[in-house]
Amino acid sequence: MISSLSFINQKGEILIYRVYKDDINRNEIIQFCAKMIATKENKESPIINIDQTSFIHISIKDIIILATTKIDVNVAMVLEFLYQLTKICKAYFQGNLDENCIRKSFVLIYEILDEVLDYGIPQIADANLLQKFIQEGGIQQETTINIERLRQLTYTLTGAISWRPAGLYYEKNEIYLDIIESVNLLISRKGTVLRSEVVGSIELRSKLTGMPECQIGMNDKLLMGKQARYNKQNSGITIDDMKFHACVGLPKFEKDRIITFIPPDGHFQLMSYRISENINIPFKVNAFYSEIRENKLEIRLKIKSIYDQNIYGTNIIVKIPVPKNSVNVISASSIGKAKHEVEEQSVIWRIKKLQGDVEISLNCEIQLGLTTREEVWSKPPLKIEFQIPMFTASGLRVRFLKVMEKSGYRTNKWIKYLTKGGEYQHRL
Amino acid sequence: MAYFGNNPQRGELQELYADLNDLNFEKKKEAVKKVIAYMTVGKDVSELFQSVIKCLEFNDIEMKKLIYLYIVNYSRQKPDDAIMVIQNFRKDVRKSENPLVRALAIRTFGCLRVPKLNEYLIEPLKDCIQDDDPYVRKTAVLCVPKVFEVSPDICPALLEQLQKLLEKESNALVLANLIQSMREIEVVSGKQLINLNQKIIQKLLLAVDECIEWGQIFILDYLATHNPQDSKQAEIIIERTLPRLSHINPTVTFCAVKVILKYLDFLDNGELVKNLCKKVAPSLISLLSWNQPEVQYTILRNISLILQKFPILFENEVKVFFCSFNEPYYIKYEKLDIMVRICDSKNFGQVLNELLIYLNEADPHFVRKTIKSIGKIAITYDKALEKAVSILVEFAKNVQQPTEPVQELLMQMQLIYKKSKQMYKYDESLKIIYSIVDYANEPESKSACAWILGEFGEYIPKSVEKMKEYIDNFQMEDRLVQLQLLTSAVQLYLKYPSQCATIIQQLITSAKDSFNPDVRDRTYIYWRLLSTDPEVVKNLVCFNSGVVSNFSKDLRLWETQDLVLALENMGSISNLFHKLPHQLYKNIKIKINNQHDVKIYKGEEKPDTQPQPQAQNQQDGSNQNNKKDQQQQQDIDLLSFDEPPSNININNNNNNKTDVFELI
Repeated sequence: MISSLSFINQKGEILIYRVYKDDINRNEIIQFCAKMIATKENKESPIINIDQTSFIHISIKDIIILATTKIDVNVAMVLEFLYQLTKICKAYFQGNLDENCIRKSFVLIYEILDEVLDYGIPQIADANLLQKFIQEGGIQQETTINIERLRQLTYTLTGAISWRPAGLYYEKNEIYLDIIESVNLLISRKGTVLRSEVVGSIELRSKLTGMPECQIGMNDKLLMGKQARYNKQNSGITIDDMKFHACVGLPKFEKDRIITFIPPDGHFQLMSYRISENINIPFKVNAFYSEIRENKLEIRLKIKSIYDQNIYGTNIIVKIPVPKNSVNVISASSIGKAKHEVEEQSVIWRIKKLQGDVEISLNCEIQLGLTTREEVWSKPPLKIEFQIPMFTASGLRVRFLKVMEKSGYRTNKWIKYLTKGGEYQHRL
Repeated sequence: MAYFGNNPQRGELQELYADLNDLNFEKKKEAVKKVIAYMTVGKDVSELFQSVIKCLEFNDIEMKKLIYLYIVNYSRQKPDDAIMVIQNFRKDVRKSENPLVRALAIRTFGCLRVPKLNEYLIEPLKDCIQDDDPYVRKTAVLCVPKVFEVSPDICPALLEQLQKLLEKESNALVLANLIQSMREIEVVSGKQLINLNQKIIQKLLLAVDECIEWGQIFILDYLATHNPQDSKQAEIIIERTLPRLSHINPTVTFCAVKVILKYLDFLDNGELVKNLCKKVAPSLISLLSWNQPEVQYTILRNISLILQKFPILFENEVKVFFCSFNEPYYIKYEKLDIMVRICDSKNFGQVLNELLIYLNEADPHFVRKTIKSIGKIAITYDKALEKAVSILVEFAKNVQQPTEPVQELLMQMQLIYKKSKQMYKYDESLKIIYSIVDYANEPESKSACAWILGEFGEYIPKSVEKMKEYIDNFQMEDRLVQLQLLTSAVQLYLKYPSQCATIIQQLITSAKDSFNPDVRDRTYIYWRLLSTDPEVVKNLVCFNSGVVSNFSKDLRLWETQDLVLALENMGSISNLFHKLPHQLYKNIKIKINNQHDVKIYKGEEKPDTQPQPQAQNQQDGSNQNNKKDQQQQQDIDLLSFDEPPSNININNNNNNKTDVFELI
């Protein structure tokens, strides 16, 4: 399937090169590297086919990970695999994947590459599992000698519940739930909503003993519709689409819309969802650009927070685009600090904390420098980044989380909600 | 170059050699690591083969893996030395109690790719396929295609074993890998290996629920190539695939979409089909906004196919394809392309409003493509004409440089005027477009300008002077521009015979000796015609108002009969390039599509689509007329080709003809 994998640095040097099939040679890779380095911009498509050889790559910061193949593979699979491979590497390198740690731990990477692909066909690509038998500097002798444990490992690897090893024990049984929503919003020049969408994810950190079966329920309209006791005014929200971690029993969900799972140990993303109806837009923005004199631009900006009064938005960053030739920016704001940042070509307005139902304003006077060429400035959209704890833009709520294990222990459950700004843009 | 770059210095090799043979284990291990490091950067360390192999004696897994890596890399250069390792492998496979070691040995063994070594492999491999441990089994199963690729002649027994395993295997992961490895062999051998029956389908469907994500992909991918016996079977397979739409791995979801869409064709129950479409659409839309741009890109590249066969899925969903400001351009291009395809007589206003925003983007290629898209929509939908023209005119007002988008703008305006000459009045479009003709610098855009000048000469002030300017530079122009200039100049001449007499004269003089036969021919035709019967020329070169030349309303990408086959291959590389597998890969056989009627899944039929085909018929009709005209033109050309100069002399004698020729 995949003929070879390489890790390439910014200069186009090969850091790691592993061949799985004999139909590719190093020179072809080197040629590709040269080409990639020559066209650095993101205009190049991630898949290139030269003479029946396909080069499929992704870029993680400065590292390019490249897979080659000569057959008609499923491209989406190869790409997804490359992403998972980076996740694995990051798990091993404490969240980093850069040239340094690749050079330092190349032995480990080769070992990983040997396990995740066989004959170019993706195999086990779960960082937690791999760490059970591949570790920097070799695993402890104990595991290698204890055949019983090894057998258990291979059965876990190939079994139906490959994500959770047997025999876990915790003194205190705890489970943490994080509901994180990011709002993608596009508002037109005239103030109409062009697109609004919430992409959410439910992340779990589980510290549970044994093989617990969990069940989670949300105020999802379809699910609640099946349980008659909810009346109409509390009819829940419409979720367009949900995607689940491998641990969720999908056939059961399809049939009864009940989410049951045996959680992996530690941190994982249980599900992601997408909602496009009835979204609570957290901010109302009014921006006026006016050229008061020649070479002098005035921006008046008003933002109103339209969430509940006892909720606070935090780390709000408003990026207000200004022309390239802005030289002297004087800004006055009712709250927070605004600063002209040249490399961003924007005035950045930072607000640490903002209560709900409050209107704030910013005025900027901008001196425009003289330019040699009269060029029309194409205004990029205004962007807002923010975090609002205890708030969900979609209105999603977790109604219950049950943990059932045969020993019948008590579980402490913690829950947290957060809404973030995703692609939150106002066209000007 | 190679002498310095690719070979480690003599001294380095010797040092490594010493370390490898050192008695100290740690030193050995470090040396092995160094050897691998050299290998990675492309230096040749094959000379150390024997010393490296010797290190295999130690029972250290990490080192073993490294050495195996080394062996795989150099086994073909040193087949004779590689034979020495065989014993080691066999020992590992047969004797080791550690399943990981057994699997590692069999995995590496398969990668040696030396035909004469493979004979030693068959027996241990057979054992491993029957191993108790599923991890060893799945590794062994994947080893078979490796051996088959190098020495297919020793494999028949193994293949038979695989087929038997397919019947009885119960572990989902082994089963998934088994399917994948048998498919790989099928590709190499060109023969069918998997005999699918009801029982195996049942098993595969069960395995989908149990195995890891990649395994699910292998199985779904395979099921998509299968044709169900009847509606019942199709229904079962769809039903079992549906839950996969909620999988977190986008490829699993996408494969599930593929399987469901493929099997829809086989369902009898129309209501069920509708419901299924409703279920598939939101999953697909989630994939379109997937946060990994590369994955998103592949999905987008496949959308045109889905769009063509299942327009129903994206009804009212054009917003999904709106571009975001900081997306990579390769995604923006795809979205733009899809927006034009998805545009129809109802939502064109929405699409045009969105495209208007993109005209402000910084990237000239992207803006150019946006303009092209606007033009396409205008030409396809009569109702969109006015809005499109006003957008383009507004853009033209701000033009100050001969940029790439300006070239496209001129070309698209030409097409729009061709479609509807009346548009020149709208929004003063002609005036504003004409004010930017000097920014044309590509042959196509220049020829568009020349066309506009000829076509609208009477509405353009000082058009004759402008034409003269063009003709002064005639020799320097591209062939395309020259040809258009000839026609346009004649057009203008017919409109202002007296003012243009000199320039047409000048034009003919410089064009008749052109090195380009097309230009020469056209010059002579016009020359001859003008001197015989200017009325004929008028019919030839002047468009009658209301006549619309041919515009393809058809934005389809795929041939209808290819749709079924393309759908089976959705997600593949060939599909990404909008081709069928055999069109991209020479070694793939052409698969014949047995389904003759391709079903297209539309939403509710709208009455207003009705009039358009008629309009198209008209267009076709007029187009045929045009063709006829061209035909005539050629006929004339052929008749007069022999001795043009003498004929001209004759014409010259006929003084009652047009005044140009008196001047010669």
